[in-house]
Amino acid sequence: MTQNNHRSSEYHVASLVASPILAQLDEVKAVITAVEGAEIHAVSDEGKIVFTVEGTGFKDLDKKIDIIRVHKGILNLSPVYHQVLDEEQEKKLAESDKADEVSHQVK
Amino acid sequence: MTINRREFIKANAVAAAAAVAGVSVPAVASNLITSSDITKLKWDKAACRFCGTGCSVNVGVMDGKVVATHGDIKSPVNKGLSCVKGYFLSKIMYGKDRLTTPLLRMTNGKYDKEGEFTPISWDQAFNVMAEKANDALKKDGPEALGMFGSGQWTVQEGYAASKLMKAGFRTNNIDPNARHCMASAVGGFMRTFGIDEPMGCYDDLEAADAFVLWGSNMAEMHPILWTRLTDRRLSAPHVKVAVLSTFEHRSFDLADNGMIFTPQTDLAILNYIANYIIQTDRVNKDFVNKHTNFRIGQTDIGYGLRPEHPLEQKAKNNDKTAGSSKPIDFNEYAKFVSTYTAEYVSKLSGVPEHKLEALAEMYADPKVKVTSFWTMGFNQHTRGVWANNLVYNIHLLTGKISTPGNSPFSLTGQPSACGTAREVGTFSHRLPADMVVKNPKHRAIAEKIWDLPEGTIPPKPGYHAVLQNRMLKDGKLNFYWVQCNNNMQAAANINEEAFPGYRNPKNFIVVSDPYPTVTAQAADLILPTAMWVEKEGVYGNAERRTQSWYQMVKAPEGAKSDMWQLVEFSKRFKVEDVWPEELIAKKPDVRGKTLFDVLYKDSSVGKFPLSEIPEDRLNDESRDFGFYIQKGLFEEYASFGRGHAHDLAPYDRYHQERGLRWPVVDGKETKWRFKEGSDPYAKPGSGWDFYGKKDGRAIIFALPYEPAAESPDDEYDLWLSTGRVLEHWHSGSMTQRVPELYKAMPDALVYMHPDDAKKRNMRRGDLVKLISRRGEVQTRVETRGRNKPPIGLVYMPWFDASRLVNKVTLDATDPLSKETDYKKCAIKIVKV
Repeated sequence: MTQNNHRSSEYHVASLVASPILAQLDEVKAVITAVEGAEIHAVSDEGKIVFTVEGTGFKDLDKKIDIIRVHKGILNLSPVYHQVLDEEQEKKLAESDKADEVSHQVK
Repeated sequence: MTINRREFIKANAVAAAAAVAGVSVPAVASNLITSSDITKLKWDKAACRFCGTGCSVNVGVMDGKVVATHGDIKSPVNKGLSCVKGYFLSKIMYGKDRLTTPLLRMTNGKYDKEGEFTPISWDQAFNVMAEKANDALKKDGPEALGMFGSGQWTVQEGYAASKLMKAGFRTNNIDPNARHCMASAVGGFMRTFGIDEPMGCYDDLEAADAFVLWGSNMAEMHPILWTRLTDRRLSAPHVKVAVLSTFEHRSFDLADNGMIFTPQTDLAILNYIANYIIQTDRVNKDFVNKHTNFRIGQTDIGYGLRPEHPLEQKAKNNDKTAGSSKPIDFNEYAKFVSTYTAEYVSKLSGVPEHKLEALAEMYADPKVKVTSFWTMGFNQHTRGVWANNLVYNIHLLTGKISTPGNSPFSLTGQPSACGTAREVGTFSHRLPADMVVKNPKHRAIAEKIWDLPEGTIPPKPGYHAVLQNRMLKDGKLNFYWVQCNNNMQAAANINEEAFPGYRNPKNFIVVSDPYPTVTAQAADLILPTAMWVEKEGVYGNAERRTQSWYQMVKAPEGAKSDMWQLVEFSKRFKVEDVWPEELIAKKPDVRGKTLFDVLYKDSSVGKFPLSEIPEDRLNDESRDFGFYIQKGLFEEYASFGRGHAHDLAPYDRYHQERGLRWPVVDGKETKWRFKEGSDPYAKPGSGWDFYGKKDGRAIIFALPYEPAAESPDDEYDLWLSTGRVLEHWHSGSMTQRVPELYKAMPDALVYMHPDDAKKRNMRRGDLVKLISRRGEVQTRVETRGRNKPPIGLVYMPWFDASRLVNKVTLDATDPLSKETDYKKCAIKIVKV
């Protein structure tokens, strides 16, 4: 019952690196940008494409990544980062304790 | 606020990916990533839960739940990348059907083998287990007890289990599921080098000029290593990639020389390459003269089937001599391989001569540094140990070994098949640090470290994986505990040789698992299990890298780690319950103590106090037992290998590092073993020193091509090969709970050549039956897609619990390694 509410308040973001066959770089870039919520941020000298995909759930995100993954012009698709943000819970947390900030990034 | 949070997270994601790709990103993002004050995530490092690559991932925890993961940029293995499986790591623990209470088959409140699974308490579960174990012990002695463990156990879990079984219950009937994936690799290493595990490391990926994939589909099975290989291939134009397989798969996309061969003929191809090297006068004579010996191995050794099987009746040397060999000289060896000509091998294997020659030339050319990779194609083979021996032959003949880029590299399938199964020695014949139970000196060393009386460890090797299933069926193994694997799906010929044993009324079967797998459902008692970062642990990967992680979240209420289960269970037994009086008399102070006292608390395992655990760390097991048990188990285990070429660093150091490759001597890891200068154990002046053998020489083996146990005939007219797919890892018990992965690859289809389908009036999507002499399975036909079998062979992955392909496969094993050959049997396919 809460599942649906829970889902709808989720924000997902993933970042990925795609290694295309160089001759098909433009084609692969076009495939990525055609996907809703996908955005290219950089392309390395070797042609590696850094992009993000945003969505409302695991399923949504995966569907989008699948469209890109199966493309013949891609030799490798490596997910790098994934995070879920439960925005309803975030709101509650922000209201309750602003002080409890113990997090640290592993260095 | 929400928008800022989103932007922040997205910037984090971009920065992480950009770092991996080696490109710069706008400054705003890199500023944001350091301002941790707006994230409530607590990040920590862990080894990935899935394959044997041993990637490090950063795990983000919020409110006691894993909500984020990313590839660890500081990891030398994956350098910030992850694969599709790793990307979904955060979800494997949160499947809806996660088990949280022990379940016993009961009728009217009492245990009943035919009853329904009923929730009981942990106390009740241990009571019934202790009762059943005691019954079996009293009736038939320690050999009636057995355990089937895992290359997914942490090092500490495997060590605790091995000690409990081999020293506590005094049975060697413990084997890991790694028997199914790398026993042949172990056999190959021990036979050729006298010491286990690869000499090279992943750094070979950036140093090699040529890569040869022997059966391995790295693009799908080891995607991170494949990424590194792809990078090398694309950034250095001279680099070539050869791929050999019995069907075309995704790794062929990058192949300069792709070869499809008839199953089993890899043995002939390997001998052809050796012959080519000799015929073209490219043997590295200096290396061969100084560092190798030649031997000819026993042949016609059978197929590891039950003794009454016709193939075993026919085999001449399927006895104790199967692993024997005799010394020969180079000329005799050259003569032996001389029959493996391009013409003969091309005809046998179906690979065109020019492709074979191009492959052989890569190995033969002294200027080309070659790395060979293999996994299950060689290992799950009725001549698996031979296949491993034969690939080492090629590297030894050319001296292409133990230097950067020159590397015969046996990859592994499970995260700690090397660490837990091999190094800890959880096999039925092994002890830690490559020692074996049948060697009295080795037993004495173990008994000394364990502070136990002489004669505690039984000398006879126990039942290996395949034999365990046979002995369950035959009613000789009666108390059986399965942890951390899904063998009812993974074992071959389950219809005839697995399921009957689990349901044999004489037996009591316990299965520990986080999820209700098919194996759990075939059990009498299911124990709910904590997994991955719900506990502290250590894994050892394919390049000898040992990695640790801390517990980061609590397991669901009711679920307990495998290690807790084992150690807690040991409290139920007094030494007098399990040891004979004459053994106790040799060490009277153990009288009245429990196995928990003797094996753990009062041994060196118990000597590290809780105060050594950082205060902000969870550690449910240690806090329950009253001492830092993970450290105690690790340090005691490590004492087996220190000073014996298996040196590990002090435990605490692993919490600071992204793993270290053993032997770790004077604080330094070892990248290439056996090479003077890079391996501290190689003697000065030796150049190379294969110190696993007394004379420092590795062995080049003369071993022939012998046919498969079963080949297609008029009735069963197709080869069947089984294996994995990228989205699912092994039996799928974890990944099939991730809806996204399930959706991507919902059912195991049978991949077949369009002509084979046409010949049988079948079309893509048709429902068909795969029938072998042992059983049948229904599935649908796929004639397109990523796997393209040649005419005469079909491929079906084995992850799908609703379509168990192992009802069909043959339980033929390598007689030397006892590993099952899942890669070839004969079947027919009919329309339903």
